[in-house]
Amino acid sequence: MKESKRMFIHYISGLIILITGFIHLIANNLPSIGTIVHESIFYPVNLIILLSALLYHMLNGVRVILIEVIPGKCAAKAITWIMFLVGIALYIYGLQVFLNLFWPVE
Amino acid sequence: MSTDKEIEVKFRIFRFNPKTDFAPRWQEYNVKVDKSTTVLDALLKIKEEQDPTLTIRYSCRQAVCGSCGMMINDKQMLACFTRVLELNSNIIKVAPLKNYRIVKDLVTDFSELFQKERQVKPYIIRHDFEELLNPTGTYKQTEEELLGYIQFADCIECGMCNSACPVSATDPLYLGPMILNRAYRFISDPRDLGFEQRIEAIDSEHGCWRCHFAASCSTVCPKGVDPAKAIQLLRRQLVKKAVLGISSPKKVELIPMAHVKGKLELPKGWQ
Ligand code: SF4
Ligand code: SF4
Ligand code: FES
Repeated sequence: MKESKRMFIHYISGLIILITGFIHLIANNLPSIGTIVHESIFYPVNLIILLSALLYHMLNGVRVILIEVIPGKCAAKAITWIMFLVGIALYIYGLQVFLNLFWPVE
Repeated sequence: MSTDKEIEVKFRIFRFNPKTDFAPRWQEYNVKVDKSTTVLDALLKIKEEQDPTLTIRYSCRQAVCGSCGMMINDKQMLACFTRVLELNSNIIKVAPLKNYRIVKDLVTDFSELFQKERQVKPYIIRHDFEELLNPTGTYKQTEEELLGYIQFADCIECGMCNSACPVSATDPLYLGPMILNRAYRFISDPRDLGFEQRIEAIDSEHGCWRCHFAASCSTVCPKGVDPAKAIQLLRRQLVKKAVLGISSPKKVELIPMAHVKGKLELPKGWQ
């Protein structure tokens, strides 16, 4: 993937974090609207979107910092791959936690 | 401190010859200057009258060639464009530009920088070879088109922006403000058709996305080029073309010119 695409998603994910984070805060702190949101499918879906955006934004940020401080073209490729794999692992773990929480298997 | 009379100023100059010296040292010289003396004049005076071993690089002496960039009182400045008394300081500290290998004393090595610059193909790229080989006219540009890139074309390649850039300090592969500005200068030129050929370099892990936009580069530029702005505009172009796929093909009109009709006549001895 071109760097411009990675960074474009980075900025978009930043925006998504703002929106979904705000919804999450409202759902947990404003009982009037919160209860409605909590009881709908919208709450776990919002959380999953927040998790995806947060993971991408965070790991891409770490990748950018590492690329800047560890010189070398090969190093950049290795860092990108490592972050990608760490991201996948964390995503699977997070998703599994949410699935157990919201849709527990009897 | 402005005066017509000569006054004595102390110069603390960085001295280092990587071939013979174990470590750099600072050497002091007293120089008489007046209100018109530039730092370059003072350095040349030191070289002529006190220490011929002092090494400096310069050429035009009028802020055109970009050879004499150095750290003057810890700031990137052109020695030929900086008057000593305007610095308002009794001690003038002079050192080579940061972020470059030192050749000797105040001379830094730009070869890596110019090598890297080749990646962005800093020239106009066109595909109408027949017209290029046998010109029949000149390419028309509107005033707005010219204003779109002329500021960025003022770069004299002094490399001072790269020296001030915090990313260039930590990432040796980062293209840096000077080169990215060069790339934008040509990409925004209505006559140029080489955007695709430059993408690999500017859209890489060490291309324009690494800029932190702190704009230290623009503050030290002696020509008011604003490379930080060029980098942001470059990003906009990349998102538009490489991410969203929005492309507006450049159309440039050829105005026939009588005096260049037919094959270009080269002067004798040039054929
Ligand atoms: S704006 Fe970008 S290129 Fe300019 S000094 Fe800052 S990081 Fe470097
Ligand atoms: S942009 Fe300015 S500081 Fe940078 S190389 Fe060009 S003239 Fe020098
Ligand atoms: S000597 Fe040419 S820019 Fe200073």
